[in-house]
Amino acid sequence: MTIGTQDILIKHNARWLMDIAADAMLIADADGHILMANPAAERLFGYTRDEFTTFTVEDLIPQRFRASHSDKRADYVKQPSNRTMGTEPGIVGFRQDGGEFAADVSLSPLEEGQVLATVYNITRHKQAELALVAARELAESIVTTIQEALVVLDADDRVISANRVFYRVFRLTEEETLGQVFFELHQRQWDIPELRQLLAEVLPQQRKVDAFELQHKFPGIGSRTVLISARLIEGASNRSALTVLTLLNITGRKRLEAEQARMIHELKSVNEELTNFAYVVSHDLKAPLRAIGSLADWIAADQQDRLDAEGQEHLRLLIQRVRRMDALIDGVLRYSRIGRIHEAAVEVDLNEVLHEVIDSLAPPAHIAVRIAAGLPSIWVEKTAVQQVLQNLIANAIRYLDKPQGRIEIDCADQGESWRFNVADNGPGIEARHFERIFQLFQTLNSRDRVESTGVGLAIVKKIVEQHGGLVWVESVPGQGSTFFFTLPKTIPKTPKGEAK
Amino acid sequence: MKTTCKAILLVEDDQVDAMTVRRALKELHVANRLEHVENGEEALAYLRDSEKERPCLILLDINMPVMNGIEFLQAVKAAPGLKRIPVVALTTSDEQKDKVETFELGVAGYMRKPVDYQQFVEIIRTIDAYWTLSESPA
Repeated sequence: MTIGTQDILIKHNARWLMDIAADAMLIADADGHILMANPAAERLFGYTRDEFTTFTVEDLIPQRFRASHSDKRADYVKQPSNRTMGTEPGIVGFRQDGGEFAADVSLSPLEEGQVLATVYNITRHKQAELALVAARELAESIVTTIQEALVVLDADDRVISANRVFYRVFRLTEEETLGQVFFELHQRQWDIPELRQLLAEVLPQQRKVDAFELQHKFPGIGSRTVLISARLIEGASNRSALTVLTLLNITGRKRLEAEQARMIHELKSVNEELTNFAYVVSHDLKAPLRAIGSLADWIAADQQDRLDAEGQEHLRLLIQRVRRMDALIDGVLRYSRIGRIHEAAVEVDLNEVLHEVIDSLAPPAHIAVRIAAGLPSIWVEKTAVQQVLQNLIANAIRYLDKPQGRIEIDCADQGESWRFNVADNGPGIEARHFERIFQLFQTLNSRDRVESTGVGLAIVKKIVEQHGGLVWVESVPGQGSTFFFTLPKTIPKTPKGEAK
Repeated sequence: MKTTCKAILLVEDDQVDAMTVRRALKELHVANRLEHVENGEEALAYLRDSEKERPCLILLDINMPVMNGIEFLQAVKAAPGLKRIPVVALTTSDEQKDKVETFELGVAGYMRKPVDYQQFVEIIRTIDAYWTLSESPA
């Protein structure tokens, strides 16, 4: 082998070596004149061998570097030495076509101030280096921006780095943290058995741990709930494995959650109490009311001979008021019951539902109830839409004051929701009453003229709003009213279990 | 109602409600004697007293002091000698929950007391008609 290698060099001269070299080589004299260039140099710079010999080395760098370069070259000539790659950063090459490239140059002094310069195109290295810098900057900006405390540990649990959030939340400085064993930091604030177990046993097995919730009383800081995530990052080549810990302080969130849960619980119990209250009160009001009703009835029947016309009229009014109060109590019960039972949405044929509702209401002959043609089948809670339509149509019938009554019902697709309207040619409602009529027990007529509890529209409003819809009225007094309500479209669900 | 059986036991704490039942039975010429007790505990005592006539029907109010109708039903339906006596709940409550609960305890019927006396008479008429036709175990 050794003999063979020597044989190759014996057969050739230095010129041959330069010609086959892959890197660009130039020989220049002490004044910088180029004496010789090899084929690789021709390829790199784009000049012919003959052109090179008319140049100085300064012709091969951009104009802006030339002056400083000739100074450096002069210094080198005074103290020539072997200079390897990487000694002089920031060298730029200048090609025949005017293009520039990142370059590195190694120098070997020859005789009489002559120098052999090998020129390397390091554009690709340069790009990789820039990419690396960019990547590091990105990583650093992420670490400093995230809201989680971040700490990196080596294999011995010593802190290699931590971000600002970590220092701030756990009241530590960089000086007292870096290089220290994590568990020994600040009065051993992190020396928590669960965390030790997580890092020593769980992490090596699972490689990563997500959202491990830890509640701990940190000395000098107080009780904190921390969400811990950990990643074990394998060491590249000679580097040992690293542990990256992110610690999210969720103490505030936890407190809010607990507060919210408490409030929801309170709200639920108040709501339940209210429903029970309405139920108990109406139940307890009914028993004496029934007694009053019965006794009045018996007096009217048994004492008929002894009562004069006025006394009988008074008893009649008394019994009527008992019935009215009975209806009011029933109204309260019906109103308070809304929303306690939710059914599943089913496909409802509006045409069918409306016919059922109208049949049950049996409108008198002088009122024509018309259902718009081609009403769709929609997915809704059937009872809800039925109750709403029933109340609106019943109202329209009850108050109609024209010899030829007209009620029209329609439904329009509004994209996100369905909009229903029930229009009549009844007495109409003044705009100042538009809000009031939807309130419980509010009626616009004396109850002696139109027997009404004032519950119907309140029930309509409660049902519609519980389903996320709106209800309103438009009216021209004397000409009629149109009641509108919307129901958001529900996504048809495949029947799966029972709806709550 | 069947003439072979004599007594109807009314368990009702409200005096006027009891009068209503009594009056309605009279109006309908129901010949059966009406035994009136005021709560579930008294009703149980009545049923366990061998001196007393066993009723052919119990009309039961649900909302009562001391022992309410539900508690009374639980006791009666657990007693082998008493559980065959038909019980009709006669109550103010229109709650689904109360209905389900009483039917699960084996009531024969559930009637809501109306405020209107004439309607009450109709309800008693229905009960009377049913137990005139229906066969009961001797």
